[in-house]
Amino acid sequence: MRVRRRTFLKASAAAGALAGLGAGPALNAFADGRADRRPNRARYAPGSWVSTTCQGCTTWCPAEVFVQDGRAVKVRGNQHSKQNDGTLCPRGSLALQQLYDPDRVKVPMKRTNTAKGRGVDPKWVPISWDEALDTIADKIIALRKNKEAHKYLLMRGRYTYMRDMIYDAMTKIIGSPNNISHSAICAEAEKFGPYYTEGMWGYRDYDIANTKYAVIWGCDPLSSNRQVPAAIRRWGDLLDRGKVIAIDPQQHTTANKAHKWLPIVPGQDGALALAFAHVILKEGLWFKEFVGDFKDGKNLFAAGDKVDEESFAEVHTHGLVKWWNLAVRRCNPEWAAKVTGIPVDDIYSVARGMAEAAPNAMVWLGPGACMQVRGAYAALAIHALNGLLGCVDNVGGTLDASKIPVKKMPKVDAYKDELAKQKHKKMDQRGYLEFPSLKKGKPGGGVVTNNLADGILNEDPYDVKVAIGYMNNFAFSCGGAARWEKALAKLPFFAHITTHISETSQFADIILPAPTAMFEKWGWVKSKQNRHSFVSLLKPVVEPLWEVYGDETAVPYLIAEKLAERGFTNLLDFYKKEMKDPETGAEPKNVSEFEVYALKYYTKPLWDGSSKDLGDDIAGWDAFVERGMWNSVPYAYKKRWGKFKTKTKKFEFFSETLKKALTAHAEKHKVSVDDVLKATKYEARGDYAFVPHYEEPYVVEGTEEYPFAFLDFKSRLNREGRSANSPWYMEFKRLDPGDESWDDVLKLNPADARKLGIKAGDMVRVTSATGTFTCKAKPWEGIRPGVASKCFGQGHWAYGRVASTDFAKAEARGVNNNEIMPAEYDRLSGSTARNGGFARVKITKV
Amino acid sequence: MRYGMVIDLQRCVGCGACALACKAENNTRERANGQSFNWADFLIWTEGSYPKAKTHVMPVLCNHCTKAPCVENCPTTPTALYKTPEGLTMHNAELCIGCQNCQEACPYSVQSMKDEPRQYSVLSYNEEDKSAHPRWIDGKTLIEACTTSGAEISRRTEQVPPDRTRFKHPDYGSTRRPGIVEKCTFCAHRIANGMEPACVEACPSEARIFGDQDDPNSNVSKRKQKHKTLRLKEKEGTEPNVYYVRNYAGTR
Repeated sequence: MRVRRRTFLKASAAAGALAGLGAGPALNAFADGRADRRPNRARYAPGSWVSTTCQGCTTWCPAEVFVQDGRAVKVRGNQHSKQNDGTLCPRGSLALQQLYDPDRVKVPMKRTNTAKGRGVDPKWVPISWDEALDTIADKIIALRKNKEAHKYLLMRGRYTYMRDMIYDAMTKIIGSPNNISHSAICAEAEKFGPYYTEGMWGYRDYDIANTKYAVIWGCDPLSSNRQVPAAIRRWGDLLDRGKVIAIDPQQHTTANKAHKWLPIVPGQDGALALAFAHVILKEGLWFKEFVGDFKDGKNLFAAGDKVDEESFAEVHTHGLVKWWNLAVRRCNPEWAAKVTGIPVDDIYSVARGMAEAAPNAMVWLGPGACMQVRGAYAALAIHALNGLLGCVDNVGGTLDASKIPVKKMPKVDAYKDELAKQKHKKMDQRGYLEFPSLKKGKPGGGVVTNNLADGILNEDPYDVKVAIGYMNNFAFSCGGAARWEKALAKLPFFAHITTHISETSQFADIILPAPTAMFEKWGWVKSKQNRHSFVSLLKPVVEPLWEVYGDETAVPYLIAEKLAERGFTNLLDFYKKEMKDPETGAEPKNVSEFEVYALKYYTKPLWDGSSKDLGDDIAGWDAFVERGMWNSVPYAYKKRWGKFKTKTKKFEFFSETLKKALTAHAEKHKVSVDDVLKATKYEARGDYAFVPHYEEPYVVEGTEEYPFAFLDFKSRLNREGRSANSPWYMEFKRLDPGDESWDDVLKLNPADARKLGIKAGDMVRVTSATGTFTCKAKPWEGIRPGVASKCFGQGHWAYGRVASTDFAKAEARGVNNNEIMPAEYDRLSGSTARNGGFARVKITKV
Repeated sequence: MRYGMVIDLQRCVGCGACALACKAENNTRERANGQSFNWADFLIWTEGSYPKAKTHVMPVLCNHCTKAPCVENCPTTPTALYKTPEGLTMHNAELCIGCQNCQEACPYSVQSMKDEPRQYSVLSYNEEDKSAHPRWIDGKTLIEACTTSGAEISRRTEQVPPDRTRFKHPDYGSTRRPGIVEKCTFCAHRIANGMEPACVEACPSEARIFGDQDDPNSNVSKRKQKHKTLRLKEKEGTEPNVYYVRNYAGTR
């Protein structure tokens, strides 16, 4: 027993002696003794709830902040939201610690040490906004004078749709093709599945409230994947009403609470999906109203042989028999069990279960299942199940979004001079033979974010001379992070707009302090959940403590003013002439007016009464600003049946849309489609490439014999990768299943740990083809043997006093997965590979 | 009137929104010196072996016990810890002498989580003569004149902590002074004003239900009726008023 610090004797005098110290309450309420000690005098200090948006993840929740005497003190969901029901996940509260972070950048800064590198002190000094903006404007003008405007680069990270001002208009009018977004390190491979089956390049909405069978694949909707509070709210009832199946090598929260957890071998997701399809077809369980049936009613798939295409009459789909003949017929559960590690019985029972519930079922495709080298085909195979079972656009299934009537960016063509009109390739090499990046069917249509580093390093297609980045941290967030340190160090001039110093900022020449998205800036976002699309405003709910300007609108406007002073007025002309106040027609006279007018321009149809049939009827701009959001009418089921935006207008099991895109890419390079597939590391040849099919998981060369597949996952507390400097993040880190608070543990199955002689708490060295780091081991029963898992988010060597154990010495708390994950790609979608076991590691006790 | 809480573990997803909302509402500080200062926290354990393993999460907080050992062992006169007629276990900050007897007596607390490793302690102790919010008096900057500091933010917002939710209650302030213990109040300042406790309001899954156990029509009473209930350390005889129903990972 512990010795008490004090004795009872002190008791009588204590109350009086301590009265008056600190923020003590008044005593008089209970002066007469216990009977009166009632909380009847409790008072809430004045305050008000102000609407804004949480951008802690891409759910982009409509939110509200409680403001007391000009300070943000707590958060909740927007009370009008039909998506999050007025609540937020833990990321909402965590945002408070980003707003009031002792390590925020408060003034523009200039580097005075020209040497750049990790651990090299940039010797930052504060400068005025004028000096910072003058420097940036001079650099841009110099580029234009030298006829090399295309050597300007804009790197975008977390954004709102006001991105158009800095990302789109500014880059194009200056004369550069290089507006490079972060999108391909996020989840572009996910979009590949629905696009090349049903013509939807986007994330699906999932009708959780009405589903009876949810197959959750490679993600944890209770922690991430774009509808977090909506999923959390509805999950308890779903578990009563229907069945939840989770497919993931690791037992995340959804898997833990599911009726069945299928701990799949990393990278074998496509095999399992095809085996499900095999059972569904062979047993005649497809949803006939959507797919159609054999003309004579007899299921010819049952025999397992090739089937005559003419024998089947499809309704809303295309190429079912071709798909069967080319791929599915060979993918039986017995084969799949061997490669996926999932027992045969489970494959049969889940396939039959989802078919029985169909069409009120959903196959929820997450990044774990497809952000893999060759993951495009896993995405196709998994999403194809939604077609097979008629879940697409159906009750309890996977949905598109209701229409959101906002304005598009005005055309910039008239503001582009001859220099700006010149055509140049983009620095991320999209569209190169080995990077088809087939966004929306267009070769080179999508970004290859992570390859920008190689573009810069190899000066291919050319060298970058002036770069601006905002709310991005590619030196931390991209696989093969060490490449980024070299690439950023090579940039002759780089300005970073950020709330916090970050790994990327440490390579900048100028840093501009940014407002926090949720609390201090104007913007707007759109998305959908729970059958309702929405638009949510971001606004300055509190006065920033320092002079900061919005990264997406204010900063480009201020730069435009500086460019105009130097004789290049096109950008300012665009901003002033195109972003007039839609109510008065007045041009913005200053940066504050510009920010508001631009927002009014984009959102006008939501509040001018012109589109009340599509959703909330909001009476005017002021009402919209106060309310902070707009909800659409519910999405109409079966809306796209018969008119999918594919080449055939059908749900394509044989993707004519993909065939067209791949053929176009091949023709552009004067090679065959097979040559493209070879150059992009896929195994498929011939028609096989146009159907969802099995590709063997790719493993980085030279590491095939490493014993563990490395599994990277996202924390439910990650506000993107930006909450690691928050004590609350560290304190509750153990809410990520298997993780530890104030630590960053590598989880591995206890049986594996025993073989290696590793006990809980031992430090281990983890080595991949790309790098090595040392962290604490955590044997945990919730992970498949042969898999080593660690959460993404820590390992910041330059982020702040909590995230970094020693900022001055560039020493990180925890380790960054991107230092051991090589830069690899799913090249058809342009995505950075993060999953699928391509990064193998060996683990040794230290 | 007898306040109580039911936590539906099937609805709970262990996200932590409750615990963070509590910290934001009650302005509790960060962990130090064996004290968590988490009035809302979690008990987490994994049982069974792969692939049958299950992880359990139980949100924990002061149980507002009917027979509260913290009250029985509070040495001051009148006692700093006391029971209200509505069943709240309250702590009067002014009367507290920081003896930590309550932490020792409470089956759900320890005097130091460092000395006696535990996942949670519902009572935490603020060290004497040390700031209860060191993060916000720290003047250290990462980059001189370029980045800010805790001290600068609290100076500019004129509050410690800067995101302090301000309210008044006869028994307690919105922050604590050094040398006293602290714990969950069921947000007495909120319920007195017709609001639910912060953790209840913030829960995105509606897993937490708060209300009057004496009212048979209250949601708390109904849920207690409907399901088999569990209370933590029932054998201790403290008669907790926080009940758990259903299972966190009970569907497999």
